[in-house]
Amino acid sequence: MKMKKILAGAVAAAMALSLAACGGGGTTSGSGAGSSGAANSGAASSGGSSSSTNEPAGSDLTASLKLATYPVGDMTNEAVVKDLIADFNKVYPNVKIEPMYLDYSNGDQTVNGMIEGNAAPDLIFEGPERLVANWGAKGLLVDLKDLLPAGTYDVTTSSCTSADGAMYELPVCQTAHCMGINKDLFTEAGAMQYINEDTHTWKSTADFLKAIEAVAAIHPQVGVVFCGGQGGDQGNRALVTNMYGGQYTNSDFTRYTANCDENVKALQALVDVNGIEFDPGIVGSDEINLFCNGTLAMATCWNVGAAKSDTQGGTANFEIFPVAFPTESGDPVLQGGIWGFGIFDNGDQAKIDAAKAFVKFMTEDEAQYSKLVEATGYWATRDVSGLYAGNEIMTEYGKLVPFMGPYYQITLGWPEARTAWWNALQRIGAGGDVKTELDAFAAEANAAAEAAEAA
Amino acid sequence: MLTLAKANQPAMSRALARRETISGYLFLLPSLLFFLVFVVYPMIMCVYTSLTNATMADGGGSLIGLKNYVDLFQDEIFLKSLVNTVIIVVVSVPTVCAFSLWVSARIYNMRDWACSAFRVIFYLPVVTGSVAVTVVWKWIYHYYNGVLNYVGTNTGLWEKNINWLGDPKFALGCIILILFTTSVGQPIVLYVSALGNVDQSLVEAAQVDGATDLQVFWKIKWPQIMPTTLYILVITTINSFQCFALIQLLTSGGPNHATDTVMYYIYYSAFTLYKYGYANAMGVILALCIAALSAVQFKLAKSK
Amino acid sequence: MKSGVKKTSPYQIITLILIVIVAAVVFLFPLYWIVTGAFKTPEAVNSAVPEWWPGEWTMRNFQTLFDKRSAPLWELHVPLSEWFTSDNTQVVFSSGPVLPAALRWLINTVFMSVAAMILTCLTAALAGYALAKKRFAGRAVLFSLIVAAMALPKQVILIPLLREMSVLHLADTIWSVIFPIVGWPFGVFLMKQFAEGIPGEVLEAARIDGAGELKTFTTIVFPMIKPGVGALAIFTFINTWNDYFMQLLMLRGTSVLTMPLGISKMMGEFGQDYGLLMAGAALASVPIIVVFLVFQKYFTKGITMGAVKG
Repeated sequence: MKMKKILAGAVAAAMALSLAACGGGGTTSGSGAGSSGAANSGAASSGGSSSSTNEPAGSDLTASLKLATYPVGDMTNEAVVKDLIADFNKVYPNVKIEPMYLDYSNGDQTVNGMIEGNAAPDLIFEGPERLVANWGAKGLLVDLKDLLPAGTYDVTTSSCTSADGAMYELPVCQTAHCMGINKDLFTEAGAMQYINEDTHTWKSTADFLKAIEAVAAIHPQVGVVFCGGQGGDQGNRALVTNMYGGQYTNSDFTRYTANCDENVKALQALVDVNGIEFDPGIVGSDEINLFCNGTLAMATCWNVGAAKSDTQGGTANFEIFPVAFPTESGDPVLQGGIWGFGIFDNGDQAKIDAAKAFVKFMTEDEAQYSKLVEATGYWATRDVSGLYAGNEIMTEYGKLVPFMGPYYQITLGWPEARTAWWNALQRIGAGGDVKTELDAFAAEANAAAEAAEAA
Repeated sequence: MLTLAKANQPAMSRALARRETISGYLFLLPSLLFFLVFVVYPMIMCVYTSLTNATMADGGGSLIGLKNYVDLFQDEIFLKSLVNTVIIVVVSVPTVCAFSLWVSARIYNMRDWACSAFRVIFYLPVVTGSVAVTVVWKWIYHYYNGVLNYVGTNTGLWEKNINWLGDPKFALGCIILILFTTSVGQPIVLYVSALGNVDQSLVEAAQVDGATDLQVFWKIKWPQIMPTTLYILVITTINSFQCFALIQLLTSGGPNHATDTVMYYIYYSAFTLYKYGYANAMGVILALCIAALSAVQFKLAKSK
Repeated sequence: MKSGVKKTSPYQIITLILIVIVAAVVFLFPLYWIVTGAFKTPEAVNSAVPEWWPGEWTMRNFQTLFDKRSAPLWELHVPLSEWFTSDNTQVVFSSGPVLPAALRWLINTVFMSVAAMILTCLTAALAGYALAKKRFAGRAVLFSLIVAAMALPKQVILIPLLREMSVLHLADTIWSVIFPIVGWPFGVFLMKQFAEGIPGEVLEAARIDGAGELKTFTTIVFPMIKPGVGALAIFTFINTWNDYFMQLLMLRGTSVLTMPLGISKMMGEFGQDYGLLMAGAALASVPIIVVFLVFQKYFTKGITMGAVKG
């Protein structure tokens, strides 16, 4: 044992010196597969060339984890994430957590590449469409049912649970996606008359289209149907399905029905209306930015998180008014967003235990949970007293939460269907026939759903 | 190995042959190690995986013979990406060669500083790096506030803003233009040097005989810079075939697969659709295409 | 000046003007746009009417760039160290304060390119010499394998390579980009072409003098192929610097990213903040452009020489 350590130190030092003339004291840090032996915690565990003296204090959990976060509120803000990790490390000093930040354009490919390289992140923060419908369904995640805090809303819980009953996402926060409009411009165009300002809803779909035409008369670019990729597609899906009451999937989330007549009518209206363009050059986050910098008068990929962000809503020099998607019935069905933790099974129980300890630490205690929820910027998934008390923006956007509809993003074959969706929109934008292209979408998406069902 | 060496070279003493072999392999060892571990082994794995149905969930997958290859040629998107790749190669290779030759012919006999200055300018995009160049072009092409649309609409070249990267009619052309700027640097450097090395006595003799500049160029200079031209053809072809960064950063293959290239579709199949076996089959096809083209061009070079 | 330069004809003047216009618009303008854009305010960047010259200069973009992410100044994962430590942990040397990650990305890019350059030159020079001058069994087979591998596009092996790296515990370390580049056989091929020019008598004389193999290599062979090594060094450096695809597949953690990767990640996260993106692009390109301008002569020479022999 001792010999091996000395040898290791010597080899390591020689390699480092020969490969890079780098000075500086050699410190070592544990990482890599099988890095911990949770049981034998007596000996110093850091290994390598330096002699370490610090002893495990509060806990005997030792591991080195990677935490990958998607941009949900401040969850990719380094200072916020590191602060949360620091809280955890006060209790678990030997669990080292290295954060990494993903985005909705390339994040999936990044994680998939890590999975392919047998080095998936241990902890991941995202929503059910990826955690439950994708990586969970492929058997890559750990069931987290035993960590579910009491009092979590049932509707949330079921969205995070896969068909086989395993909970691949431990829900943390949720929101309702809505639209945002440039109130200054809409007022100037006389288009606010089409909106019920007290309930944040459109008076009707026809009024919505009238409003677009009115704004288009004074501002060339009102809104877009962005289709450069999947990022933010909940916006254009909700817009299309709400306008005439269409459905995107069937009610038990097994097949895609987006080619229904209502949706065809809606997309045709969007193609025809003046002021809305299909833009295959941008995705949802781009639309938000173009809206906030005044280029667009309306955003379909809006929510309270964007409204509160310093880099998005915070930069707008006009009043942003949140509104539900337009409907004929006056009863909008908003797309929910539910985010939470997933844990990848990298075949190392010590890592899984440490990751579970992290999730438990973050969600069990109410004070810590509130801090986490505030970091995400959205609403809690169970009753938490005093959260966002007196916060004006949260109160205003809170009016939209009751419109939240079913979470159909866990439909079988979702990743493939998503890709088929923006490709179909691109074809429609380029002049393709709406009905034909939606049929093509449904065929492609349902083939993927069947394949997923068979597997 | 050792006995073979002895048998092959009876002239050498046995000890010497052994010494040569050992020292030869010792010299080769570091390079060979990297070559075998990081190039040859993955190549073998690539071919093997291409015969399986490996996906993300089941890692290794099982052997399915040539099914991936058969599927490939029925996959509309793959065929489209193959066509796009060929378009990129067919458009960019001759343009790059012709443009760099045209520029070089004009600048090679200018004063040293002027010639260097031009060479540097045309080489700048290579040094800047493809990603930095791509980012700025993305802004220049921007639908709403790009310089190109501003200049175009204000000079009356086109009426209203054009969605350069979002319109299937323009997207591929826009990408080829960027590829062009990052490709001509090296050919210009090479042509300037090749033209400088052209035998001056032949040129002068021709001029004395009353040949025009154009005749001098085609009859005397062109044959002498032929090897350079062939080399440029080879590297430009290979580079164009591997066009990836531009696609990933600008269009993700869109709109409606108008800018999908084989390289991008490999990445997309592997990391978005999880079809590893399929992606590797595409890799093998791409490798075969490039190898065949290189072989043809090398053959041409040899025969000249 | 060479003889035979006559008076400039009108055709030549027109050509020159055209070249200058193309150079300015297509080659210089993007660079100008990067550098000025990096200092523009968000209003100027988002305005539909471009500001040709920044009306108001701001450091905001660089501040944002530096505030977003942080990383330790320097960390080096010792390759294969897991195999030697008792509990399979990686040995990581780290030093220096925590800095804006963008600076670390710059350091990573330089380290990656320089390390790949040095390792390639070293191994290729040794191997090229052996292939050119040593007579040993298996030489012909090896050489044809090298030539065959050279014609293949590097990108196709990257997916299997990804798995291999995780087995070797090299995943997500800078070495996973460097090692395959070192293994790429072009360098060996190039060095062999140069080493063939060494006269056999010189080597024979050294052997008779009793010089050992290594001594022969360092005192006789290396000086003679030095121009080739220089060319290879420049080749490898530029190619590594620009090898975005390889970096994209191999590197992910915030602190192992390279400059091109860092920018492409920012494009994903802050897609429409072109001021910020230009600041990143400026940071990525201006240092290397300065190096290029200073060593311009060597670059040109290296490129030409590599091509002539390659």
